[in-house]
Amino acid sequence: MTGTIGLAWRQLRNQLRTTEWRALLLACWIAIAIATPLALLADRLERGLLQESAALLGADLILSGQRPISPERLDDAEAAGLVATQVTQFPSMLALDDEMMLVSVRAAQLPYPLRGQIVTTPPQEGDLPESGQIWAEQRVFTQLGLNLGDSVQLGYADFEVTAVLQSSPDRGSGFRSFSPHVIINAADLEASGILAPGSRAEFRLLLAGDEESIIQLDALWRQDLRSDERLFSLRNDQPMTGAALGNGLRYLKLTALIALLLAALTITLSLRRFSNGQYTRCALLLSLGMPPRQLIRLYLLQLLMAWAIVALFGTATGLLLEQLVVGWLEDLLPQALPAAAPLRYFSGAALGLALLVLLGLPPILQLARVPVSHLFRGDGAPQDRRANLLYLICLILLGVVLLSFLEEYLAAVALLLLLLAGGAIFGVITQQALLLLTRPLAKRLLLGRLLSMRLRQQRRWHRLQSAVLVLLLTLLSVVWISRTDLLESWQAQLPVDTPNYFVVNIQPWQKDELDDFFATHEIGSILYPMVRGRINALNGEPIRPQMNEVQLEHNTLNRELNLSWAAQAPDNNPLTAGIWWSQGATEPEISVEQEMADELGLSLGDTLGFDIGGLPLEARITSLRQVEWGSFQPNFYVIFNQEALEAFPATFITSFHLETDKQHLVNDMLRAFPSLTLIDIDQLLQQAALWLKRLGDSSALILAMSLICGGLLLIVTLLQALEQRRYEVALLQTLGATAKQTRQLDLLEFLLLGLVGGLLASLATELTLGALHLTLLKIPVQLHWQLWVVLPLGAALFFCLSGIVMRRPLLLEQCYRLLRSAT
Amino acid sequence: MTLFSDLNLTIGKGESIAIIGRSGAGKSTLLSLLAGLDTPSQGSISFDGKALETLDDEARAQLRAHHISFIFQSFHLLPELNALDNVRLPLEIRGDKDPDAIAKHWLSQVGLAERLDHFPSQLSGGEQQRVAIARAFATSPGLLFADEPTGNLDEETGHQIIDQLFRLNAQEGATLVLITHDTELAARCQRRLSLHNGQLHEVSA
Repeated sequence: MTGTIGLAWRQLRNQLRTTEWRALLLACWIAIAIATPLALLADRLERGLLQESAALLGADLILSGQRPISPERLDDAEAAGLVATQVTQFPSMLALDDEMMLVSVRAAQLPYPLRGQIVTTPPQEGDLPESGQIWAEQRVFTQLGLNLGDSVQLGYADFEVTAVLQSSPDRGSGFRSFSPHVIINAADLEASGILAPGSRAEFRLLLAGDEESIIQLDALWRQDLRSDERLFSLRNDQPMTGAALGNGLRYLKLTALIALLLAALTITLSLRRFSNGQYTRCALLLSLGMPPRQLIRLYLLQLLMAWAIVALFGTATGLLLEQLVVGWLEDLLPQALPAAAPLRYFSGAALGLALLVLLGLPPILQLARVPVSHLFRGDGAPQDRRANLLYLICLILLGVVLLSFLEEYLAAVALLLLLLAGGAIFGVITQQALLLLTRPLAKRLLLGRLLSMRLRQQRRWHRLQSAVLVLLLTLLSVVWISRTDLLESWQAQLPVDTPNYFVVNIQPWQKDELDDFFATHEIGSILYPMVRGRINALNGEPIRPQMNEVQLEHNTLNRELNLSWAAQAPDNNPLTAGIWWSQGATEPEISVEQEMADELGLSLGDTLGFDIGGLPLEARITSLRQVEWGSFQPNFYVIFNQEALEAFPATFITSFHLETDKQHLVNDMLRAFPSLTLIDIDQLLQQAALWLKRLGDSSALILAMSLICGGLLLIVTLLQALEQRRYEVALLQTLGATAKQTRQLDLLEFLLLGLVGGLLASLATELTLGALHLTLLKIPVQLHWQLWVVLPLGAALFFCLSGIVMRRPLLLEQCYRLLRSAT
Repeated sequence: MTLFSDLNLTIGKGESIAIIGRSGAGKSTLLSLLAGLDTPSQGSISFDGKALETLDDEARAQLRAHHISFIFQSFHLLPELNALDNVRLPLEIRGDKDPDAIAKHWLSQVGLAERLDHFPSQLSGGEQQRVAIARAFATSPGLLFADEPTGNLDEETGHQIIDQLFRLNAQEGATLVLITHDTELAARCQRRLSLHNGQLHEVSA
C-alpha cells in the first residue's frame, strides 16, 4: 500500500505540470469556493431565520388581518387557554425636526413577544417601551441622524427615543418586514391619532401555549378565515423576511449551478484527456503484473491527494467569499446571523470530492481494462455497454448530489434544460453565422477558403466553445446590467410629474380640509374614496365554481380589493367598452379593469357580487376601463357609481408630485394632519434598489467565478483542439501551405469565433433585458451600446490571446515527422 | 550524428523508383529531404535544376503545392471533411479556379464517384487510401512520394491500391518515389535502391 501511495504521489507531482491537471484542480477549487459560502449562508439563514422561527415569529401561532381582530377570535383564544397579545403594525413617517423617514411602526402591548425576545442597546428593563418612549432600529438612527434621548414625532404624539433595536421577532409579513422598524407602546396609539376605522394597517393576534391547543385552534380558524385574514404558524409558514431571504438564496444557488456544471464539464474533459494519455502507462503496469484493482487504487489515490490540496484552498477561498457576501447583506438583515454548524464548513469540500470521484471513477475503471496489447497494437480500452452504463450511473449520481446540495429540484432541472437548449441553439447559430461570414471571404482570399474548410472541420468544437461563451457572457451581462439598470431605466422613463408621494388613511372628515391644503399650495391631487371588499359572486351564483384553475389564481379573487366610487371616469382610465353611468344613477353599476375582465371572462351586463365588511352588494358591469398600473395614481380594479357605494365606511387615498424645492410642504401637511400615513415613494424605491443591488452584486460575484470556470473550460477545449489541429497544420504545410498561412488561419478563426460569440451574447443580452423591460416593467426597450463593443472585443481578445499563448509553432521539418508518428 | 554519407542519387522525369530498407534506416528522413521538407546540413538537393536548400519557406510551399504530392501509410485524411473536401484541400491551398470539378474527376478515377459525401469514418481503409491517392493526383504533381502506402492495409486491398497507384502514375507520367520494405512491391518500380548505413545501393531486379 505504501508503495502505491508513493507512486500515486509521484504521478500526481509529475502531472501537476500538465494543463489538464491544472485545469482540473482549478475547476475543483472554484467549485469548492462557490459551494462553501452557499452551504454556510444557507445554514446560517436557516438557523437564524427559519429553524428559530418560533423566536422570529414571536409566537406559536399568529392571526393577521387588515381589520381589527374580532371579539370571536379573542374568545376562541381565551377558550383554548392560550396566552394572547395584540400588535398593530402600519407604515408612517417618523419626524425629527424637519427630517422625515418612512418606517414600519409596531404598537404592542405586554406580554410581548410571546416567543424570543427583543434585544436593545442599551439593554432595557421592560419588554416594551414605556408610554411616551420609542425604540428604533439602527437604520433609523443613521438616516435621521438620531441620538438616544432625542424627541421624535409620530402622528400627533411626541416620543423620546430610548433604545436602539438590535433584533426583534414578529416583524410582520410582506415588504413591511424589510422596512426600518420602530416599536411603541400600544397605549400611545390612540394619542398618535394615526389609526382610524378603515386605516391601512396589519392587526395581529399573537398566541402561545401547549402544542395541542395551538394545532386545534389553527385547524379551527383555517376553516373560516376571513378574506383579509392569514394564519402564520411554525409548522406551515416562515416569517416573510426569512422567506424573502430564502428566495434570494435560492437565486444565488441557481446561479451557482452554472458554475458547478461548468466545473464538472471541465473536470470531465480534463480527466478524459488525462486518462487517454495514460493508456500506455497502464498497459505497461498491467504487463508488469500489477493487478487491475491496485491500478484503480493507484489512480483513485492520486485523485484523493489532488482533492486534499484543493479542498484546503477552496474552503479557505469560500470562507473569504462568505465574509464578503455577508458583509454586503449585513445591514439589510433584521438580525445578526448565528454561526453555521461545524459540519457545514466541509460541505463545499465534500461536494468537490463527489465531483472528482464520480467523474473520475468511469475513466479510471476504464484504465484498468486497457489491454496489454495496447503496447503492441495501440488497442484502447473496450468501449462497451458496461463502460457506458458506468458513465451513466455516475452522471445520475452526480446529478442527485448537485440537486440535493442546491435543494431546488424543479428550478435546477428547469435551469439545466434551459441551459442545454440555449447552449445548443447558440452553438448552432454561431456556427451558421461563421459559415455565412466566411462565404464572401472565401470568394476573395485563399485564407477564406481554408477557413471555410476549417469551420466545417471544427464544427463540433465551435459549437461547444460558442455555447459556453455566449451563455456565460449573456448571463453575466444580464445580471450585471439588471442589478441597477432595470430600476433606473424604469424610473427614468416616468414622466417628471409622476407622483412621488402617496397619502392613505385619510378620514372622511379630513377630506375637505386636505383638499383645501392641496389647493392652497397648488398641489394637483385628487382624493379617491376606498372601501375594502371581496368579490364572491358572478351573475347571482358563487364565483369560484364558475372559474377554471388559472382564473382561480387571479389576484382579484384571492384578496380583499380596494373598491372606489366616482362620478366620472378617471382621466387616465380610457373606457374600452360600454358607457360611463349618468349622473344620479341609483342602480349599482361598476366599471371593471379591462385585463381583469378578459382574464376572468367577464363581459358587459354581467353582475358581480361583493362582500363588503360582511354586507352583500351586487352591481352590473356597464363599462370596461384601461388602467395604467405603473402611473403612481391610485388605481382600482373596480369602480362603482357613487350612489351604490357611498353608504359604506370609506377612507380616502391620493397621490401627488412634489418638486424637490417644495418638499417642506410634506412636513407642513403632516403637522397639520398628523394622523395621515404618507408613503415616500423615493424612499421605498431606494430600499428596494438597495436589495436588488446587493443581491445582484452577490450573484454577479458567483457568475464571475462561473466565468473563470467557463474560461478554464474554453482553455481546456482549446488545448484539445489545438493538439488535434497540429496534425492538420502539419498536413496543410505538407500539402503546400506556409507556416505563416496556417498561423493566420488559426488567428482568423479565433478572431471570428470571439467576435461572433460576443455579438451573439450582446444580442441575447439585449433581447433578455428588452423582454424584462417590456413584460416586467412595461417600458420601452433601451439599447446598451457598450455591450456591443465590450463583449465581441473581449471575447475575440480572449480567444486570440489564449490561442497565441498555447499554440506551439510547427516547423516544416517537424511536419512530416508528426504525420509519421501518427501512423 | 551523420545519417547519410556519400549519397548521390539522380531520378529522371517519369521514372519510378523504390527505396527499400529496414526500419530505422532513415527512409522517411531521406523522403523529407527529397521533398524539401527538411534541409540537409551538408550537400544539396535539386528539383528541376533548383537547389531546394536555397529556397525560402514561401517558395518551398509553392513547390509542394504545384509539383509535389504525398501518399501516407495512415492516409491522413481530415476526419471532419468528407471525401470531396479532402481532395479539394490541396487545390484550395494553391488557389485553383475550379477545385470541385477536379476533385470529383479524381474521385471518380479512383472509383469513389458515388461516395463524395462520405466522411473518413464511413470509409474502409482501402477507400480512405483511394481518397488519399485522388488527393495526391488532383494537383497533377510532377513528383509523387508514397511512404509505405499499403502498410495499414490487408494484402488484397494493398494489391488493388498499388495497381491503381501504378496505373494512374503511368497515365499521368509523374515521377514516383516509393518507400517500402515490401520487396514484391518494390519490384514493380523501374529502379530499386536499398538504404543501408546511410548509403544507397542500386538493387538489380
